[in-house]
Amino acid sequence: MSTAHVLLGLLAGGPRHGYDLKRAHDERLPQAKPLAYGQVYATLGRLERDGFVEPSAHEQDGGPERTAYTLTHSGRDRLAQWLTEIEPPAPYVTSTLFAKVVVALLAADADRARDYLAAQRAAHMARLRELTAVKSAPGATVGDVVAADYAIGHLDADLRWLQTTLARVADLQKEVTA
Amino acid sequence: MTTPLLTATGITKDYGATPALRGVDVRVTEGEIVAVTGPSGCGKSTLLHCLSGILRADRGSVIFRDQDIGSWSEAARSRLRRTEFGVLFQFGQMVPELTAAENVGLPLLLAGSGRREARQAALDWLDRFGVADVADQMPGAMSGGQQQRCAVARAMVTRPRVLFADEPTGALDQLNGEQVMQAIVRTVREEGTSVVLVTHEAPVAAYADREIVLRDGAVDPTGLGVAAP
Amino acid sequence: MRPATLFRLSTAGTRTDTLRTVLTGTSAALAGTVMLAAVTVAAVQGGEPLEQPDGTAWLAPGAEHYTSPLLREPGLRPGVIFGLLLLTLPVLALAGQCIRLGAPARDRRLAAIRLAGATPGQAVLIAVAETIVASILGSAAGLGIYLGLRRILHEPGPGGSLRLPTDVFPDPVPLVAALLAVPVLAGLIGLIMMRGVAVTPLGVIRRQRGRGPRPWPGLAIAVGILLFNVPVWLSDRMVLSGYVFGALMLAGAALVMVGVVVGTGWISYTAGWLLHRFGRGPVTLLAGRRMMADPWNGSRTLGALLGATVIGGAAMGYHALFVTQGRAEDRFSVLIGMPPDPEHAAFYVNATRLVLIAVGAGVAVSAAGMLVALAESVVSRRRTYAALTAAGTPGRTLAGTLLWQTLAPLVPALGLAVVSGLVLVRSLYHEVTVGGGTTETCTDPAADPDTCARTVQTDPVVTLPVPVPWEQLMLLCGGTVLTMLVVAGIGMLVLRGSTDLEEIRAV
Repeated sequence: MSTAHVLLGLLAGGPRHGYDLKRAHDERLPQAKPLAYGQVYATLGRLERDGFVEPSAHEQDGGPERTAYTLTHSGRDRLAQWLTEIEPPAPYVTSTLFAKVVVALLAADADRARDYLAAQRAAHMARLRELTAVKSAPGATVGDVVAADYAIGHLDADLRWLQTTLARVADLQKEVTA
Repeated sequence: MTTPLLTATGITKDYGATPALRGVDVRVTEGEIVAVTGPSGCGKSTLLHCLSGILRADRGSVIFRDQDIGSWSEAARSRLRRTEFGVLFQFGQMVPELTAAENVGLPLLLAGSGRREARQAALDWLDRFGVADVADQMPGAMSGGQQQRCAVARAMVTRPRVLFADEPTGALDQLNGEQVMQAIVRTVREEGTSVVLVTHEAPVAAYADREIVLRDGAVDPTGLGVAAP
Repeated sequence: MRPATLFRLSTAGTRTDTLRTVLTGTSAALAGTVMLAAVTVAAVQGGEPLEQPDGTAWLAPGAEHYTSPLLREPGLRPGVIFGLLLLTLPVLALAGQCIRLGAPARDRRLAAIRLAGATPGQAVLIAVAETIVASILGSAAGLGIYLGLRRILHEPGPGGSLRLPTDVFPDPVPLVAALLAVPVLAGLIGLIMMRGVAVTPLGVIRRQRGRGPRPWPGLAIAVGILLFNVPVWLSDRMVLSGYVFGALMLAGAALVMVGVVVGTGWISYTAGWLLHRFGRGPVTLLAGRRMMADPWNGSRTLGALLGATVIGGAAMGYHALFVTQGRAEDRFSVLIGMPPDPEHAAFYVNATRLVLIAVGAGVAVSAAGMLVALAESVVSRRRTYAALTAAGTPGRTLAGTLLWQTLAPLVPALGLAVVSGLVLVRSLYHEVTVGGGTTETCTDPAADPDTCARTVQTDPVVTLPVPVPWEQLMLLCGGTVLTMLVVAGIGMLVLRGSTDLEEIRAV
């Protein structure tokens, strides 16, 4: 995922400095992993190096130095290009969940895999309830709902996979240990 | 402190030679939403029917407010269902010849209210579920989502203590299902109604405070609802 | 679509379809038998006065061996034929109305056939073909019954006298016509019944009419009564053949029946509206709305019954007329010093009594159809009933709804039917006059009849009003309502079975 492109997008509306960008990021993408300041500045540095952003003004009114960044022409082009690019739909199945089940069958046995799946399901359901509570809360914004729905959809997909995999554990074990 | 409102112990029910439920215990406290999930044919709906007094369990007791409703007559359980309980199904529960407002007001009429009073209450409830504009339409002219909202309004119009919902979003698309669930949860929280929610969808079950997973007619402690092979 | 395909598709079906087919076939058989009886009576010859060269009149031979004057006298035979044909009308209506029974399963099948590429016309054809096929089978069975009855009832008395015309066989043309009339008419009625039913690939839709039914069918009743009067009015002014006379009356009676049956839509709608408007509890709300939502349900299910009661009303009118006629003749006989002829009056009364028995049979037949229709409507709405029961609606509320929606349209429609039938007859005769004729006799017994001295003797006149047969009307209406109550009662048993919670889960 590219924090860089998200930052480009946030700068499309006008110049912002680093602290502003972090706040905007966390507000617009709720339920995402919050952005660290260090990462914001490191990313901005790379974007500046590649000529996608440039410092627009320095504000120094008593506080620490704050540099506002603005989008360059090539930055705008890069952003537009990213927005039209299609994300490859799941080219590799890379899930810790999936890996864990296979490894549990390799290294241990079906019961271990099953215990893991059961515990994982409980954890997933708990998280699902949490996210549902977030979006059902009286003051929830549309942004909150959209973000929660995204996560709920993925958790639901995981849960369905867990359920069907559980029914196939024995067969999978035969195949893995053959 | 939460007090148990509905306590079922050792519910057993057979359909002929086929066991549907084999000793299920359920406790529902005031204002609690309990989801009953599990794979198809696990006995979820049968459990709901036994808890709501629609069916009588073969063995076990269903205690509502210190009374074993399992021992009540059909007429008494009928009365209970239209006063203390609300019932909601997947679809098709609206009387096709009645307008939305008449459908929603029907339980009040059954309870002896006058026409005007029932209509006013129905309009209020339709408004709470955002479907006041279809009050004078027949169910056939409404969308599935609108129909289901009317159905919830009808289930809630008597201000029941417990709402029994069997796959309430099963016939709706995801967005409509979401909105109906949101409306149900918001209203039952406001009213302090307990809910028994039967569903096979995890995102719907996630609206509940607690989940009971059934497998082959019994509570599955692993929550997986799948038999160990 | 090849005929074989049509046959296969129209006969594919389940148990309820079989029931409908059997009912259609049975009514067709009944109608066929009655029609064949009518054709047989039409084949009877003889009894007409034949002018002999010497000026005397002989009666044409051929009918003198029948014990009943209904068969012996050529003037009465068209009346018998007319009565028999009239009787087939409600039975045919029943055959046609069966097309709307057994609906859910057949509706799904028709929709599936449409989904597989059939045109709307083909779908309707398949539905109607089923009725026609069943009617042809029924018609054939009717022929069998007719032939069997001829055999069984052929009991020559001493001197070769016969109670029934079991010795004549209908001409081939009328015979075939009678056999074909049943499926053709049943098919036509079925086709009319299927109007307003759209068979789409997604299901069968009974078109909702924007406005409720209008009371125009009342006009048809009025026109029918007028038409019924036309032959009597005409025969005073010109010579009418007995068959034209009968055909006009038959047309008038048929129009009245159609008016009554179609008018039931308006009655049902209005009764529903009144129930909805002025009723208080849930029962009247549910029943009233149901009647308004499908006002034609009454026409469809009560059609045969109402047809039978129109005839019942008419038969009662005739019965009252004949009884009065007999009384007037008796009184006349007393006045002119002759002994009353009991047999004469009894003959007409017996004839109408036969019609009343037939009407009773018609009511019974249509009650059977009504029962199937009611059971059908309950079964097709079982989801709603089951959901209402689950929501705590008491069984007696649902039963009350069923009772209201059965009886509320029935009672006024029944009244209309009986009164229309009665008015048919009363518009012709509301009083009976006997006597008033003049006889000339020679006072001189030896003289030449042409030149003798005469006295003109004017007979006394007896005029009696024909009373309205209230008691019989009450009996007919009461009996029919009672029958329908029994039907509704059985319908309630079906209802109990249809509130099973499993229905809610069935898609």
